Amino acid sequence: MASHPTSTPSPAPEVAEAASKNKPTQDNVCPAPVRRPRPQRPNYRHIHRFPLPLAVHPLPPLIPHNPLSIISVVLSYLTYLISPPHQELYSAYFDSNTSSVHITDDKTIRALWEMGFFGKGSLSRSEPSWLEREKKRRGQFGGKTSEDVTRERRTERRELKLERARMEKLVIEQRLQAEAAANENGNASPDLEADSTSNGTATTAEKFSLRKAREARMLGSQQSEEQNSVADPGNASSGRKVSTPGKTVRFSPVVQEKQFISDSTVLQLPESLVDGHKADEESLLKNEEHLQLSNEEALFLAYGLGALQVYDSDRKTTIPTSSLLTLFRQHSYFPPRSPAANLDPDDPFLVSYAVYHHYRSLGWIVRSGVKFGVEYLLYNRGPVFSHAEFALVVIPSYDHPYWSETEERRTHAEEKQARSWWWLHCVNRVQAQVRKSLVICYVEVPPPGDAQALENDIGALLCRYKVRDVTIKRWVPNRSRD
Amino acid sequence: MADTDEAAAHLPASQDSAPQIETDLSDETQDFRFLNNLAFPSDSSQTSLPRRGEKDFEPNPTNYQADILDASRHAMHNALSHPRLHHPKHRVIAYYAPDGPAPPPAIDVTEEKDEKETATNDNNEHNLTKERSPETGTGISVPEDSCVYVPNPKGQYFKSMGRADRWNRVWLLPEEALYLIERGSLDIRWPVSVTGPTAEEGEEDLGIPMSLQAAYACFTGRGGLSVERFSVYTGLRRLGYTVIRAPGWDDESDEVQDEDSAPQQGLGIFGRFLHWLHNWNKSTGITTTGPVVGLGLHRSYNDIYRKLAIIPYHDPVTRQSPRRKTTPPFRVVFHVYKPSTVFRKSAPPTPDFRIAVVNSRTQTTMPTQAQLGALLESTPLDPPRGEKMDRMMYMRLRHGYRNVILAVVDQGVVSFLRIGDAAFGKEKVYAEKPPGPKKGGFRPRPKK
Repeated sequence: MASHPTSTPSPAPEVAEAASKNKPTQDNVCPAPVRRPRPQRPNYRHIHRFPLPLAVHPLPPLIPHNPLSIISVVLSYLTYLISPPHQELYSAYFDSNTSSVHITDDKTIRALWEMGFFGKGSLSRSEPSWLEREKKRRGQFGGKTSEDVTRERRTERRELKLERARMEKLVIEQRLQAEAAANENGNASPDLEADSTSNGTATTAEKFSLRKAREARMLGSQQSEEQNSVADPGNASSGRKVSTPGKTVRFSPVVQEKQFISDSTVLQLPESLVDGHKADEESLLKNEEHLQLSNEEALFLAYGLGALQVYDSDRKTTIPTSSLLTLFRQHSYFPPRSPAANLDPDDPFLVSYAVYHHYRSLGWIVRSGVKFGVEYLLYNRGPVFSHAEFALVVIPSYDHPYWSETEERRTHAEEKQARSWWWLHCVNRVQAQVRKSLVICYVEVPPPGDAQALENDIGALLCRYKVRDVTIKRWVPNRSRD
Repeated sequence: MADTDEAAAHLPASQDSAPQIETDLSDETQDFRFLNNLAFPSDSSQTSLPRRGEKDFEPNPTNYQADILDASRHAMHNALSHPRLHHPKHRVIAYYAPDGPAPPPAIDVTEEKDEKETATNDNNEHNLTKERSPETGTGISVPEDSCVYVPNPKGQYFKSMGRADRWNRVWLLPEEALYLIERGSLDIRWPVSVTGPTAEEGEEDLGIPMSLQAAYACFTGRGGLSVERFSVYTGLRRLGYTVIRAPGWDDESDEVQDEDSAPQQGLGIFGRFLHWLHNWNKSTGITTTGPVVGLGLHRSYNDIYRKLAIIPYHDPVTRQSPRRKTTPPFRVVFHVYKPSTVFRKSAPPTPDFRIAVVNSRTQTTMPTQAQLGALLESTPLDPPRGEKMDRMMYMRLRHGYRNVILAVVDQGVVSFLRIGDAAFGKEKVYAEKPPGPKKGGFRPRPKK
């Protein structure tokens, strides 16, 4: 309908007005606001150019027939020999009350996030961005955090939905009028007329999607502008008043209120604060946020990469890697097991760490998938670049003959492995909804073995776990026929 | 994370055809107006499929909507009231043979009974001596479980069903007979040996027709045909697939696949190399307490990743030395061919899909690694190859090296799950080149 404004003359200005109401200033400033310029993104390729928080020093290329290249290689060797480059060692501390690893140093937080996407900001959704958001709220900083982007997109979508609802309502009203008119006109040709009008508008109404709504809005803004330039402003404002009730179609009161609130927090504060207290605010503003590492991440950074040292709760003594593993294993139960108690080969931490380490070693960015009902999400290169493609569910497996030796072990293994079909379908459907592929990751649990010897050799311990992954996807016979 | 991903559901398909099958049209209520466009009786000239209309989500007071609803309802009733007739020319008559395949009875009606008895005795003896011999002494080369024969087969169904014997009769397996009688394409008669001589008038040797209820009673449970297996069979058949029994149908036999060993050799060496790498890593002692990547200078990130790879993973390409036996529900029971695949009864090609049928009420949990592993190992290697697969890593991973389809039947509702042996360990993501800057098209949003 909006694409053919001439055929339905009466509602078109209303549409235009309603659409332009939200951004009148922009319409007046820009001559043709057909497409809003996309806000400049930070250069993520540059920020996240290092996949791991380790520095690499590639040798200059050696070209056999060029003697100069040999010299450069030798030179680089020599420089490294004389002054070996310093490898950054980050520090974190383990809080045994919450069984979690924290980092409070700003530099370390940025480094671990930017190189490998480790951890989560305690006051943010994912990337520690509280300080930026807070600064922006106080009007000191113009940058845009991911939370802002999401909010904007949601507002936009909500508006479009309102628009769509309004259009549908309009079409219905129009059709009712047409039908009433046809009835009044008598029985001469009511059917034919009603049919023709309804058919014409029906198609437009039925095909009215969000995309269409967006187009309609652009068109509307253009039109309103033309109208503004031609007609006097008083006329336009009166039209605006008329159009206001048109917006209260379905869920409008709540939404409008919310919109108002969100707009006000973002837009109104700056004006009051920007001028006077800027300097004071900056000095007052302290970063209240810290980075929390999952225990798997902490062990990977410490044991796998050697880039992290974890301090005790008192923040004085560092925990050596082997006791760090024991500590995390104890803390994978709730309440944490006492140091005297024996640790099982299938304790949750070991199983999930084997999976974490495996996928990290393949180059995936592994992050928690609890929001999707899975253990892990696998990102290629990182969450700022693309959505996660794979969602990982971890299930222990007890294939080793040891686990079927006694009745007790058998029931233990059965309990640990059992997942119902209902659970599987549930997880599978959720992943399909968010366009992720479900991967079931079986971890083969070894028999306990010599606990004492394995405690001291993490590598030997981890090598006993075997990972097997299968992809699961709903198969629809209707779509697989070709 | 969650918020942006939720938005992804509304974005255009990202890179390759991600799982978009989730809007299953069969789950919705139909708008039956499309039936008006179908010509009754079927007109072969019109081959385009009907298109579905848009959906109204709530009632509104317009006459227009009421009219649409009326029209749709009318179309449905119209379609339902259309008489469905079986043309006598197309009638196919079959006979039920409760004792399994047997040679044809003598022409004389009075002698038939004795003849039959001796024949079945003979057959039974044969069964005892030699279980699964296709060629019995009576010259019947049809599966043991067949129990219906069609003396005069005609029609398209026998292209992919049944097995003919020496006397040109086609023997049907119970699921095939049940499917055909369900469709109304087959008229099964009770044998005279069961009903006794019916012909008071004695004009014809046609027995009493078998009812649908009787067919279900006779055929389900026969020769390993459970209700679950039948509902999978009939569902796929109705959709146009060709479905045949796989060797794993019976509990004793297991599907055995011979695999070419050429690629395994090379990968075996590769595996050994990896193993050696692990050992070398261990011998240097850095994995005991870490850091696994070692101290000192790192020349490249790929080296770091290679050193990090200490967790062993399952490689679907290397053959497991003792082949594990599949456990009953997790076993391929059907080979399925797409309608487009050229199928010959005498020499079935390699199946397009392999299906294992699971009753979710008796097997309440999903398979364990051992069960699934054995099931996957019973299927042949199907590595992700091809131009498209080479290009797209995600697609390779989703396809996997082996695959099987689980049909989980819960009280008649069938849900199919495709299982792929992915082997993420064989795809080194770090070695993939990051995609260059995209020009135009869809750009992923910034996301944290």
